Amino acid sequence: MTDPYKTLKAEVIRVTDETSNIKSFLLKPAQKFSFKTGQFVQFTVPGIGEAPFTPSSSHFKKDEIEITIMKAGRVTSKIHELKPKDVIGIRGPLGKGYPLEEFEGKEILILGGGVGMAPLRCLLLSLLEEKDKYGRLLLLYGSKTPGDIVYAGQFADWEKRGAEIYRSVDRCDTGEWKEKKGVVTCLFEGLKLNPDNGVAVVCGPPIMMKFGTMKLLEVGYKPENIYLSMEKNMSCGIGKCGHCACGKYFACKDGPVFKYSVVKDIEGIWD
Amino acid sequence: MKFIDKKDFMGFVSALSADADIFYPKVSADTSDWAKWQTGDKFSLDGHRTILPVKYFFYSPQENLRAKKRRPAIIFGARGCDTRGLELLKKIYLDDPEDPYFRKDILMFTADCTSAHPDCFCSALGERPRAEKDFDLNFSPLGDGYLIEAGSEKGKEILRKNSERLEDASETHKKELLNMRAATEKTVNGQNNGVTLDMQKLKEKIETRNAAFENYGKTCVSCSACTTVCPACFCFFLSEGAENKIRYADSCQLPGYARVAGGGNPKKELISRFMHRFGCKFSWRPSMHNNLGCTGCGRCIAGCQGKINFKEALIAVSKS
Repeated sequence: MTDPYKTLKAEVIRVTDETSNIKSFLLKPAQKFSFKTGQFVQFTVPGIGEAPFTPSSSHFKKDEIEITIMKAGRVTSKIHELKPKDVIGIRGPLGKGYPLEEFEGKEILILGGGVGMAPLRCLLLSLLEEKDKYGRLLLLYGSKTPGDIVYAGQFADWEKRGAEIYRSVDRCDTGEWKEKKGVVTCLFEGLKLNPDNGVAVVCGPPIMMKFGTMKLLEVGYKPENIYLSMEKNMSCGIGKCGHCACGKYFACKDGPVFKYSVVKDIEGIWD
Repeated sequence: MKFIDKKDFMGFVSALSADADIFYPKVSADTSDWAKWQTGDKFSLDGHRTILPVKYFFYSPQENLRAKKRRPAIIFGARGCDTRGLELLKKIYLDDPEDPYFRKDILMFTADCTSAHPDCFCSALGERPRAEKDFDLNFSPLGDGYLIEAGSEKGKEILRKNSERLEDASETHKKELLNMRAATEKTVNGQNNGVTLDMQKLKEKIETRNAAFENYGKTCVSCSACTTVCPACFCFFLSEGAENKIRYADSCQLPGYARVAGGGNPKKELISRFMHRFGCKFSWRPSMHNNLGCTGCGRCIAGCQGKINFKEALIAVSKS
């Protein structure tokens, strides 16, 4: 019997500073590692602990995976100390990813905030890889300040490959910002969308997910066409330990991607 | 159905101990808890549930997740509430991907309750004070012996191997069995005033915030005794050991249970954690696992440091 708690060794190949508190880690697993976009892995720092992350690299890449991580707690602080050649563990892939087959032929709106761009980058890269299968592809991305934008150097390339990109920052204290100012929902202003034949995917801090979802509903998206990546305390990752309970669902096994129509009546989903 | 005389019972236990570790309910003062059988120990299967449920035989409250060499085990005297709790635990732990550390080498030799703990309320959930399935052998205590029913091939095999100690159950034994079972049911029913909760109605009520929760949750101190002694609570926390993962029993009643990195916590409020336990037991597990998360054993009532009577809370919620 395979042991679902056993980790696969992976070597750190490259560490990229994305912002002052966000880094991307390019990992080479000891064997080929397949996952679907939106699925997550448990990142194990041996002897320290585990934390769940959705890879930010395309699911078409099997030899290496990249994971973008914000320093936010005990385990992520240790992860931020990692250097190339360090060996860590990954466990997964876990959960259900984005149902890409349901997105085919549709306009896809990706709404991201802050480090929530990490799983969305995986989605975006996977969609761009097979761009012809999908309709118009829009990315609306908000961050606190220009300095907090993750993957800052990559947006131009995504645009070139066919994504429409709109960005906002909450504020810009220093330097110059020629794009929109305001919380991410301000990007909807004047934007022509096709919610009747479109899906929206949201990932970001809980408050942004809440208001982002409200905005999507306001502009005409149906609850069953809004996909949310739920951040919960996932410990076992396989639907046994109970921590990630999201009402009757276990976010690790039944999610982490949920349609808004499925979770909308669960108390505390935005907390 | 077979019958074993009580004077032959310890010889039967002794014979089984050659191949397995034996655990039994050891009585001390007015209660009982699990003990490992040693040569010379004597025990009876009369009475009611132990303080702790059987779940910790199947996984440890603190466990290094690595392959272990150990003898198979036989648990004598688990009650219906234990097997009902175990039914849910198996659905969780053995569902794909299967947890390889959840023990599958334990035989369940259950026993009918012949009395009830004052907190027992299985009858209020529509259950009976005995195991009706999921046992290898079930023992029904009668005056001078036990009626034995086999519930698995392994159980049948053990009865075959020990046939010299057993006799076929007589009509008198079967009559005594019905009387004993009726008497215990009457005891449990009596202490629950004949209440049987409408589980569907309860499920609907439990999904919304309810004044009864606020009222009964007032004295909760988030100590997690209720989940620790519950035969159906399954939560754990996976941690890193030096070489293997370590699993610790965890509780939805503890403040850090749902906290995520960065400090977000959907279960920060005590009342939301108090409600979480009811939601899990009476709504979510029935929906997702087709199994109640409560067995009516009342261990949570006995263990509660805030003197919360969960049975009364359930009745209050269903009446609200």
